[in-house]
Amino acid sequence: MALTRRAALAASAVTVFAIGRARAADTLKIGQVAPLTGPAAESGRYQVNGAKQAADAINAKGGVLGQQIELVVEDDQTTNPGAVLAFSRLVNRGDCAAYIGSIRSTQVHAMAPDVLKAAKVMMFGGTDPTLTQMGNPWMFRCRPNDSYSAKVIAEFGVKSLEKKKWAIVHSTDAFGTNGMKALVDSLDKAGIKPELVQGYANQAPDFTPVVLAVKQSGAEVIGSYFTFETDLAVFARQAKQLGVTIPWIGSPSIVATPALNLGGATLYGTYGVADFNADSSPTAKAFAEKYYELFKVRADNFPSWTYDATNILARGITGAGGTDPEKMRKAIIAIKGFNGAEGEYNFDEHGDGLHGYNIVRNEKGTIIFDRRIDFPA
Amino acid sequence: MTATPLSARRWRGVPVALAALVACVVAVQFVPAQGYYLNILMQAATYGIAVIGIVVVLGYCGQITLAQAAFFGIGAYGVALGTVDFGLNFFVALAIGVLLSGLLGLLLGVASLRLGGHYLAMVTISFQQILTLVLTNWISLTHGPDGVPGVPRAAIFGISFAGGEAYLGLCLVVLVLITLYSWRLKSSRLGRAMQAVRDNELAASTSGIDIFRTKVLAFGISAILGGIGGGLFAGGFSYISPDQFSFPESIVLLTMALLGGVQSPIGALFGTTLLIILPEWLRFLRQVYLAVYGAAVILIMVFLPDGIWGWATQRLRRTPPAPPEVAPLPLLSVKGEATDEPVLEIRGLAKHFGGLRALDGVDLTVRRGTVHALIGPNGSGKSTFINVVTGLYRPTAGRVSFLGQDITYAAPYVRNRLGLARTFQNIRVFRGMTVLDNVVVGAERPGNDIAEDPEAVTERALAALEFVGLRGDAYRMVGTLSYGHQRYVEIARALASSPACVLLDEPAAGLNMTEKQELGVLLRRLKGHGLTILVIDHDMNLVEQVADHITVLNFGRRIADGDPRSVLDSPDVIAAYLGQPQEKQGSHEAA
Amino acid sequence: MDIALQLLFTGLGIGSIYALVALGFVLLIRAASVVNFAQGEFSMLGAYLMVIFFTGFGLSYFLAMILSVVLMAAFGVIFAGVVYWPLRHRGQLPVIISTIGASILLANLVLVLYGPSPQVLPGVFDAPGIQVGPVFMDSQYLTIIVSAAVLVGLQYLVFEKTLLGKKLQATSQDKEMASLLGIPVATMVLITFAYSSALGGLAGILVAPILFVSVGMGALIALKAFAANIIGGFGSIPGAILGGLALGVVETFGASYISVPYKDAFAFLTLLIFLMLRPQGLFGERIAEKA
Repeated sequence: MALTRRAALAASAVTVFAIGRARAADTLKIGQVAPLTGPAAESGRYQVNGAKQAADAINAKGGVLGQQIELVVEDDQTTNPGAVLAFSRLVNRGDCAAYIGSIRSTQVHAMAPDVLKAAKVMMFGGTDPTLTQMGNPWMFRCRPNDSYSAKVIAEFGVKSLEKKKWAIVHSTDAFGTNGMKALVDSLDKAGIKPELVQGYANQAPDFTPVVLAVKQSGAEVIGSYFTFETDLAVFARQAKQLGVTIPWIGSPSIVATPALNLGGATLYGTYGVADFNADSSPTAKAFAEKYYELFKVRADNFPSWTYDATNILARGITGAGGTDPEKMRKAIIAIKGFNGAEGEYNFDEHGDGLHGYNIVRNEKGTIIFDRRIDFPA
Repeated sequence: MTATPLSARRWRGVPVALAALVACVVAVQFVPAQGYYLNILMQAATYGIAVIGIVVVLGYCGQITLAQAAFFGIGAYGVALGTVDFGLNFFVALAIGVLLSGLLGLLLGVASLRLGGHYLAMVTISFQQILTLVLTNWISLTHGPDGVPGVPRAAIFGISFAGGEAYLGLCLVVLVLITLYSWRLKSSRLGRAMQAVRDNELAASTSGIDIFRTKVLAFGISAILGGIGGGLFAGGFSYISPDQFSFPESIVLLTMALLGGVQSPIGALFGTTLLIILPEWLRFLRQVYLAVYGAAVILIMVFLPDGIWGWATQRLRRTPPAPPEVAPLPLLSVKGEATDEPVLEIRGLAKHFGGLRALDGVDLTVRRGTVHALIGPNGSGKSTFINVVTGLYRPTAGRVSFLGQDITYAAPYVRNRLGLARTFQNIRVFRGMTVLDNVVVGAERPGNDIAEDPEAVTERALAALEFVGLRGDAYRMVGTLSYGHQRYVEIARALASSPACVLLDEPAAGLNMTEKQELGVLLRRLKGHGLTILVIDHDMNLVEQVADHITVLNFGRRIADGDPRSVLDSPDVIAAYLGQPQEKQGSHEAA
Repeated sequence: MDIALQLLFTGLGIGSIYALVALGFVLLIRAASVVNFAQGEFSMLGAYLMVIFFTGFGLSYFLAMILSVVLMAAFGVIFAGVVYWPLRHRGQLPVIISTIGASILLANLVLVLYGPSPQVLPGVFDAPGIQVGPVFMDSQYLTIIVSAAVLVGLQYLVFEKTLLGKKLQATSQDKEMASLLGIPVATMVLITFAYSSALGGLAGILVAPILFVSVGMGALIALKAFAANIIGGFGSIPGAILGGLALGVVETFGASYISVPYKDAFAFLTLLIFLMLRPQGLFGERIAEKA
């Protein structure tokens, strides 16, 4: 499994580079910032694959306004300065019509000032809600932001599972803290104050104190924001050992492939919010099947958003009749009811295209689609 | 850096710096206002400032630091929080951040006092980790892991540096000034003190250097530079988050310093630029780049310990001009006479190491203008004695007074500043410096008559070297001298500090016959000028040649004390050395 | 009270992990005066070797373990030759920096070869653990605690009761004198590196079922193990063990009763306090330099 995956990744990496170098005359260039090295390198490959799948499909149908799309990828090294430098290299080229940014919110924050200066559209995947509240008109999000993951977790737990006593376990990094705040907020709107809000520092070897705190709090359900799958798996194992068996609704990492590998049986029966699930819609299903055919890897939320981002950019260019940034921007805002792999896109004036999440369940190792919960824009 | 022709000292480096400033201001006009090149240069400039901080504390002072990213971060957060949350002017916020950074650096310096090597590494790592945790978790103050967006660029008195070129220009100007400062620091008194501490802490302390103050200052300066770099970084990139100032970043900064050459600010800048630009050029190596990084560190340490720049400048080193002639040591114009006045008085000195009584109640008086020899079989406590008297060990009991002052518990550098100088049995010179600089360290000890005048200091040092016959070797690295000559350098260092009393610990050890003869002559000359000398040695010929008074130790106790003839003939002494009384062999007339 | 007992067990379990890695450190310090910042990577390598042999080639658990440990011993020799030997006369600082470089090199080499996804390794026992009263005892933690005890005993026996051990001690205290006495210093040093590396690898294999096999697993533990060494007394074997256990317990209790996110801060604060007030640690010798 590891070998085939590596071969597939190598093949796709080479192809991407080949795409990069093939300077076909008059291609429409889309600049993509992705981690090709560093801890997130594997997910970076997936993100590039998703965009490539979309670009190839569009090109096969004749391209956009008669021109072929070309993806130009720059490595952000999974760091903030790396993202800034990668983005500035793309801007420096001068020929990118638009950009696809990072899935990591801190990196998107770092690039934001330069995006403003470049005055061109960027689609990004980071879920920090503040990213669309900064008044930056050029940034558009292709995944539902964390306020929605929190709303969905709360809605599902309170209305569907009917649990009133909550324990929130969250990483103390940006992602975890924001998620926690959003969840506390959503529960508050339902008139619920959590029994426990427990943060932890990433990459902890032992979660006994956290598990014991959950146990002691008398909570009936856990809502969680784990960043790293290793932490999640350790927590899951120790929770089971110490007899914590209450339902658990987690942020997307709980259903990501690494988590399933590491956690195994300790994650059976858990729920997760997932922005992408192959069974959530026909578009998602088609995307996932094609993705597997091309890359021999199960699709997850890394390629799905870049796939959508590429398609949306193509629509934006078509709607604008060209690559004029301002026109593109308006065209994208005008997109309503567009079916992407992540869901139905209705862009609001802040730049958020998605307003809901899928709830999925870990059924003895298989991820089963449960339902989709959407909120009005 | 060796001492240069005396008159050019004050303006050294300034013309080059001015030229660099002009070049920067001009070059900056050609840089685009935003984008890739601007970002690279800003990163190189701000990191470069922090890396120069490492040069000061590690290169000059030999103290390892793995916390430079923490100070970089404090400066950055000072600017970010100051401007964004508190609405302060950029420069005010920068000052606050740098001040805080400096204070914490001083604190770290205090921690370094008793520890070195891996302990110090751990202290700095711990500090770094704790700071990262605080930045991440003290959300109400630092915004936590979200970071601080929207940091504005500098502005003051209506001049705004918001534009790309202007801000880069600001960073470059600061960088040039800091490079000039640190380059000149190396050949300043503080810089030499740092290098002495790095090369040989014990010798530095007995040469009048306050080790504590020096190390603390080194850390403080390093932290301040880190803070300045970080503050400018924050303004440049307008968004900061805790993960940018974590332990891996400290490693990156350290590697930049090592690659270029940790002894030199220019080398450090070279290393910084290389390590920022290389990844951009070698993007096809990106996958293995970090691994190459790690391998590079090992290779640098093994093959290029002075870094690339250091290695290059070594190849290009020109032979310096011959050292100038100078006026002789003032000491030599004194006609001295032996008197009864006690210069060094020791009463009941005891030093116990657990059960071992190395010194067991020793009395000794060294009188002005005499050569007093302390002899005894191996293990009798002679070296312990001199170490207690010079302050390297604390006595268990007893009293030491020097020129009427009680120095029993005084720090070594205090004793030196009162006029007590020493040499070591196992030679302790400062291997990283030239012969001249080694002696200059002695000459510029605070309290010396000419200590505040750099030109006079150099003259004094040359005079001391002249006295021991090594003036011609002044600009050589001290490690290239023979063992015997290194000993002379130590003696010259002691003499240059205008001592009232010199303690020589086995000065003849390792010298050949001729050199011992010369040493004897030298000691008698010194005596002739009224210098007071306490000599420890085994060589009976030498002792007989020069001593006016001999004290004999055995098992930590004094077993004989008096003029050479009576002491050497005493049966106790003979028994202690030879195990049994013996017929005298020939006469022992002094040569 | 129940909580406290559970925390105590877990604290001891985590502490034993630190102690196990600290043991590897101590050896190198005692026999070669080397502070090896790449010690954590030894554990990481051992775990990955296990993944290759057990998961990849499908060998039996114990055969894979033995192979991995033997290979790690060989690696230790290579490591000594490349990272330590050329620098052995140049003082502490170059060696420290060189081992830091080695740690980066090793971690990223494995990253390139194996990718960043964590891998799973099973524990020695299939059962997850046993419930003793209010305390659940994770079986792998138990294995580690027992292994640590056995290894400490072994190490003590070797160092104090065998000729080889005496030779190793002699080498660590005075290389020149040892060589003058006919002790092959180079061989002693290589043996020490080999053993320390093997021990590190074994620690990694034992720890992997709990922490999972990832490129960064070594770095996490090594820093704490290093702190454990200092707290217990640099160069002291019982000190390394006690320091590790103490650190694990302090950390776990601190996390539970005070603050989980600041858990690491407790470890480092404890370390700083020791460094300030009692740098020789609990059992170490006073630090002094002969004038």
